[in-house]
Amino acid sequence: MAGNQLPGRKMRLPSRTMLTKDRIVTLILFLPSLVLVGYFVYVTIGWNVVVSLSDWKGLTPSYNIVGFDQYTRLFQDPTFFTALKNNLVLILLFVPGSLFLGLFLAILLDLKVRGEGVFRGIYLLPFALSFVVTAVLWAWMYNPSIGVINTLLMKTGLGFLKSGWITDPNVGLYCVVLAIIWQFSGYTMLIFLAGIRSIPESQMMAAEVDGASGFDLYRLVVIPQLKAPALSAFVVLMVFALKAFDFIFVLTDYSDYTYILPLMMFRETFSMNRFSYGAAIATILFLLALVIVVPYLYLSFRREKE
Amino acid sequence: MRFPKPRRVTLYILLVFFAFLFLLPLWTCITTSFKPVHDVIYTTPVELPLSPTAEPLITALNIMQRPLLNSFTFTISAMILSCLLGSINGYILTKIRFRGSDTVFLFFSIGIFIPYQAVLVPLVLTMSKLGLFNHIEGLILTHTAYGIPITTLLFRNFYGVIPNSLIMAAKTDGAGTWTIYRRIVLPLSLLPFVVAAVFQFTSIWNDFLFGVALARGSEAQPASVALANLRGTTEFQWNVQMAGTLWYALPVLVIFFVLGKYLMRGYMAGAVKG
Amino acid sequence: MVSVAIINLTKTYGTTAAIKDLNLEIKDGEFFIFLGPSGCGKTTTLLCIAGLLKPDKGEVWLGNELVTSSERDVYVTPQKREVAMMFQDYAIYPHMTVFNNIAFPLEVRGEDKSEIVKRVTATANLLGLSQLLDRKPRQLSGGQRQRVALGRAIVRKPKVFLLDEPLANLDAKLRVKTRTDLKKLQRELGVTTVYVTHDQVEAMTMADRIMVQRDGVTEQIGTPEELYNHPANLFVAGFIGSPEMNFTDCTLIKEGARLWLDAREFKTPVPTQVAPKLESYVGEDLIMGIRPEDLYERKSVKGSTQKNALRMTVDIIEPVGPYLLLHLRKGRCSLVARVKHTTARVGQEVDIEMDPSKMHIFDKKTAKAII
Repeated sequence: MAGNQLPGRKMRLPSRTMLTKDRIVTLILFLPSLVLVGYFVYVTIGWNVVVSLSDWKGLTPSYNIVGFDQYTRLFQDPTFFTALKNNLVLILLFVPGSLFLGLFLAILLDLKVRGEGVFRGIYLLPFALSFVVTAVLWAWMYNPSIGVINTLLMKTGLGFLKSGWITDPNVGLYCVVLAIIWQFSGYTMLIFLAGIRSIPESQMMAAEVDGASGFDLYRLVVIPQLKAPALSAFVVLMVFALKAFDFIFVLTDYSDYTYILPLMMFRETFSMNRFSYGAAIATILFLLALVIVVPYLYLSFRREKE
Repeated sequence: MRFPKPRRVTLYILLVFFAFLFLLPLWTCITTSFKPVHDVIYTTPVELPLSPTAEPLITALNIMQRPLLNSFTFTISAMILSCLLGSINGYILTKIRFRGSDTVFLFFSIGIFIPYQAVLVPLVLTMSKLGLFNHIEGLILTHTAYGIPITTLLFRNFYGVIPNSLIMAAKTDGAGTWTIYRRIVLPLSLLPFVVAAVFQFTSIWNDFLFGVALARGSEAQPASVALANLRGTTEFQWNVQMAGTLWYALPVLVIFFVLGKYLMRGYMAGAVKG
Repeated sequence: MVSVAIINLTKTYGTTAAIKDLNLEIKDGEFFIFLGPSGCGKTTTLLCIAGLLKPDKGEVWLGNELVTSSERDVYVTPQKREVAMMFQDYAIYPHMTVFNNIAFPLEVRGEDKSEIVKRVTATANLLGLSQLLDRKPRQLSGGQRQRVALGRAIVRKPKVFLLDEPLANLDAKLRVKTRTDLKKLQRELGVTTVYVTHDQVEAMTMADRIMVQRDGVTEQIGTPEELYNHPANLFVAGFIGSPEMNFTDCTLIKEGARLWLDAREFKTPVPTQVAPKLESYVGEDLIMGIRPEDLYERKSVKGSTQKNALRMTVDIIEPVGPYLLLHLRKGRCSLVARVKHTTARVGQEVDIEMDPSKMHIFDKKTAKAII
């Protein structure tokens, strides 16, 4: 039976491998998304880079390519370093803060708590809200004259702790960090709680039999197994801290002490009309995000493959 | 695992304390929304109003009415479109597959994480060229496009669980790509559609950056931008500000209380906001 | 009803070949079974016939229609192949009722409403599903689901049935009953059937012919009797039959004019009728195989071993229904014998004799059967 010749057999209507009807249907279905993502994500990013290499200032677009001028200017601009420094402080306080508070809340909720669902809902609620809502709410909290915090301090005899909060250049940035930790720790709690719950109960029981108890159980058995959820929460928090805009924009406008890169980008572009300068800041933001995200995506892809 | 009694008491004290901290801003927002100016000044924010009034809510609604309507229009449209496209992409990327489909997915995934500042200038230019700057249609298009990566991820996760044998069976039964989607995959997609819709509704509704860049100060202005403006124009009318906040947050609060379970699934699927 | 021909089929995943150069012709109306351990390429072959998978090389013919050929760039989609496939997990559409599940292939093909109702009803009657037509899959038992999947496969009168481990998810009792039902149904419908299983009992009881596959390579094709009585190599000999065939290393020696198999613990003469085939292997290492039912216990005469018999110690006695399995040992040689009854006790010695005509001899180097 070897060979290709079989007596009495004919080919009937061979369909070609390429361009079957199903392939055309697939293409038509996929095309809108490919075009939209391709254009709105990739073409626009490339376009933004092109703008950043031009000398476009003012309202009429100009694509006169001048190279890295904008970037050179940026690295001589003291406000850029102020913004960068504030961004770093924000990241260094906000990311670990949210991770630890979230982990702490997740462990509390894991201790067979009555009404767990209610507490979980309460802690997660801020995360569902818009940053604009958060900003307005915290403006009210921080208001120096009749705001919630100062009023409560007065009423409880802690009046000496009164402060200008968000309006005080010394503590303004920390007030911002506190408010966004309030908003994000429910999210990290959710991620950690899911991670804890995916550890089989038999492991906890085995550890208890082995003599571990109380918080040791978490320290020795649970927390070391939370690397994956911690990593994904870390990436989400990092990227957010990098591009945080809405909250600070609404809360403090362009005050120096809370000035961060996304604010600078928006101001240079849309208030000062220095489009190429703004685009350069945006490109740097994009590169910073890429440094965080690409290794993460690569890792999770490899894990998925295995 | 059970702790001894005194420790359990400490545990509940901690839980309630944190619950208080997390609810405090919202609570004062609600109380203040019902306070006349006099009460705002002479009661602490946590206290209930002495003489409750709907006045601030009405004032705020008058200002916010049109923006809220705008937000509903583009949020719901973009939510539906991005969910449909995400569902189709999830189907293609898990059940049809082709050479390079993993790479395509990787390129989509990057779209979840990019700082939108990096696309803002070209986006504004594009919308001006298309004549969609300051138009609701521009916001629909923008939110649909940037929603596709995350909805694709959500649907891809869910469709990964549908056994491939189901698709192969349908193929040998004679069904083509579209019929399999329509008759097999779509009817099995109720859960991912609820999760993706709830997720998309909240994140589009909550957006500020695209709104302020694409429709600031126009007829098409979204509620988020209107609320930010309200804060500027009613500097000392805290009750009106809080009432406006309440109106703007209301749809998301309703979703959170009614469909929170699904929203959490969206968050846990590696989803991001911002 | 058509024949199925597979020519030079090759499919590789990454670096591992799932099928290597497979050639096969399945006759019209035949019940053909692919048998082999999991991961041996059986299902891959089935998917290539269905058109659900494209091979790297080779051709597939359904009757006189070429449906897959990488060389000639021919590929007929599964939708147009007129084959029905049944999956191990049944792949019943969970959101459809039993009726809609069975009707689905007809609806997709645009059959008449009345024709659909007629044929679905007839199929449901045939399979005893008439009372369940309005149920959803989750309200059905495993056996009922299995029949729904079967119904969906037969309702449209395909040219070929492809069944991938259709009984694997049933409990043992139901599996035996379904085996018989399925074979009867295939006889009645007369449709060419390709069936994949890793269970040799299933294969032996149902198939007209069996192909034994291992690591993508065909080990042997033949009727159940051929595979059982004349296994082509060590793998087939060991895979088919339960309890497994006994294997013993031995050397072929020549003493005078006679050939002997020397297994150190015992020596047995080669029957004269097969001696010519072995002549060239003198001095070589061979493997002797004998099935447990071809070993007999001989009443021992005290003190002396019978001629041609082997005196062995009984390790374990396993009663399996009508038979007893004697696990025997002598030195490094251990055998299992299947006997009707024995007077021996564990630890005692018995004399074991074999039927030389039932002996299998394999070349140790190539693992191929010599006789």
